[in-house]
Amino acid sequence: MNKLLHIEFKKILTYKTFWILFGLYFVFLPIGILLAEFMINNMVDNINKHTPIPLPHVAIYYFPDVWQNFAFFASIRYVLIFPAIVIIILITNEFTFKTIRQNIINGMSKAEFLRSKLQIILLMALFVSLILTISAFIVGLFHSGTSDITFFSKGIPFMFGFFVSLFSFLIYAFFFGFMLRNTGLAIGLFTLYTLIIEPIISGLLRSPLLFKNTIYNFLPITSAIRVTEYPAVPVLKKVMGLELQSGISLISLGVPLLYSALMIGIVFWVMSKKDL
Amino acid sequence: METVLSINRLSKRYGKIQAVKELSIEVKKGQVFGILGPNGSGKTTTLSIILDLLKADDGEFKWFGEIPTKECRKRIGSVIESPNFFPYLTPVQNLKIVADIKDMDYGDIERVLTLTGLFERRNSKFKTYSFGMKQRLAIASALLGSPEVLILDEPTNGLDPQGIAQIRELILQVAAQGITIIIASHLLDEVQKICSHVAVLDKGKRLFSGEVKDVLAISDSFELSSSDMTGLEKAILQHPMYRSSEKNGNLLQVYFKGEINPGELNEFLHKNGILLNHLAERKRSLEQHFLELLQNNT
Repeated sequence: MNKLLHIEFKKILTYKTFWILFGLYFVFLPIGILLAEFMINNMVDNINKHTPIPLPHVAIYYFPDVWQNFAFFASIRYVLIFPAIVIIILITNEFTFKTIRQNIINGMSKAEFLRSKLQIILLMALFVSLILTISAFIVGLFHSGTSDITFFSKGIPFMFGFFVSLFSFLIYAFFFGFMLRNTGLAIGLFTLYTLIIEPIISGLLRSPLLFKNTIYNFLPITSAIRVTEYPAVPVLKKVMGLELQSGISLISLGVPLLYSALMIGIVFWVMSKKDL
Repeated sequence: METVLSINRLSKRYGKIQAVKELSIEVKKGQVFGILGPNGSGKTTTLSIILDLLKADDGEFKWFGEIPTKECRKRIGSVIESPNFFPYLTPVQNLKIVADIKDMDYGDIERVLTLTGLFERRNSKFKTYSFGMKQRLAIASALLGSPEVLILDEPTNGLDPQGIAQIRELILQVAAQGITIIIASHLLDEVQKICSHVAVLDKGKRLFSGEVKDVLAISDSFELSSSDMTGLEKAILQHPMYRSSEKNGNLLQVYFKGEINPGELNEFLHKNGILLNHLAERKRSLEQHFLELLQNNT
C-alpha cells in the first residue's frame, strides 16, 4: 500500500467520530433505498384517491431497473451529504489539531498532503460504489429470482454514474474543507449551499415565470446528483410526463467532473500560496 | 566548520506589522544556537519560514547548503509553538505517523518515549496528557530517529520548575551528542544556560549575534570615588576591561566588559596613583541586562 494512504489509515483507524458517521451512512443508505418502493406506492395510493383511473403499484427492485433505482436513491442530496460531512471533518480536523503543520514540518510537502486526502476520497467513493453494486445485485436477485444477463450494459453505467456523483460530492466537500479550514463553518456553509441556496437558485432558473431553461442542470450540486436523473418507475412517466432515462450521458458525467477538476486546481493553487 | 542553516536577509510582513526584517543568521554544525527576543520579536515567524509553514516576502534560506526541500525537513526534528498531535491517538500511534512521514521504521519510538519519561503512559490517548507531558511528547517526536538538527520553540514555556529542569537537562544531553540545536526563547537565563551561540532579536531585527559568552557577558558596574576625580577618570580608561563610565554626583559609575574582582580593581587604580575613598559593586539582574541590550538599540 502506498505511503500516503498508509498514513491516512493511521489517522482514521481509531477515530470514533469517523466510524460512527460512516457507519450510520451504511445503515441508512440501504434502509433509505429499501423504503423507496414503499414511499412511492404510498404516493400512488394518495393519487388514486383523486383519480378515476387507478395507477398500479410499482416494483422498483427488479432487474434491470434496480440498477438505475439504486443509483438514483443513493445519490439524492440528503444522502450524499453524509459522507461529504465525514470528509469535511477529516480535513478541517487537521487544521483544528494543527497536525497539518506538524506533517509539513516533519517532511511532507503540501502537495503530498492534498494528495493523501484525494486518495482517501477516491478510495471511499470506490468502496461505497462497490458496496452499492453488490447490494443492488443481491436485492435484484432476491426480487427477480434469476440472475441478470444485462449487468454490463445496464448495471455498470448506472453504478459508474453513482461513483461520479459521490466522488464529485466528496471533492466539493474537500474544497469547502480546505478553503474554510474550520469544521463548523465548513459543514454549516456546505449544508446551507447544498440544501438551501442551490435549490433556490435552481428553482428560480427553472421557474416558468422567470427563465424556464435547463441551465440549472449545470449547477455544481445539481449536476452531481442528476447524473442519474430519474428513478426507473414507469408510473412517473404517466403522472409527470417525464422522459425515462435509458443510460448515462457523457455530458452528465463531464459536468460534475469538470467542477471537481476546477476545485482541486483551486485548492492546490491556494494552498501553495497561503500560509499555514 | 560546516554550515547547517544560513538565513539571508529574510523579511516577512503581516499587513502593517513587520514581523521579520532583513534577518540574517548563520548556524554551524554542533552549535546550540539561541534565538533570543521578547514576545513578538519574530522568533516563531522565523522558525515557521525555515520550516516551510510560512512564505517569506523577501530573502532566502538554505539548509545544509542546499535550496530547501521536504527531504531537508526529514533531517530536522522540530517543535513549533504548541505540541500538535491527534488527540484521539496514543503517543505511539502519533509517533508512528511521524516516522512514516520521515521514512523511518518504528524502532526508535520506544527510545524517545523512555528518554522523555513517557514510556509508562505510551498507550494513553494524547488528550489525556497534562500540558507538561504534551510538551515532552513534542520533544520526543522531534528527537525521533536522531535528527541532525533539533529546532525547539520555547521548549520550557508553561512548564513547572521541575519540568523546566528536566527539559533543559535533556537538551544538554542531546547537545553533548553533537546534534545542532536551534532554540527560540524569551528567557535570557535559559539561553545563557543552554546555548553556545545566540542572536538577539527585537521587532524582527537582529540586534546582536555571536558567542553567548561575549554577547550576554554580564558586565558589572562599580561606583568609585576619589579625592582626585580627574585622575580617576583618566586612570580608569587604561583598564583593559573598561567599557564606559558616567559621572553621578561625586561618584563615577564605571561599566566593564566582563566580571571584575573589586580587589584587583583597587590594586590597579592604586598602581596608577589613585587612592579610592569609595568602591561599591553594583550587580545587575539578567533581566536588567537584557532590557539594556534592547534599549541601547532603539
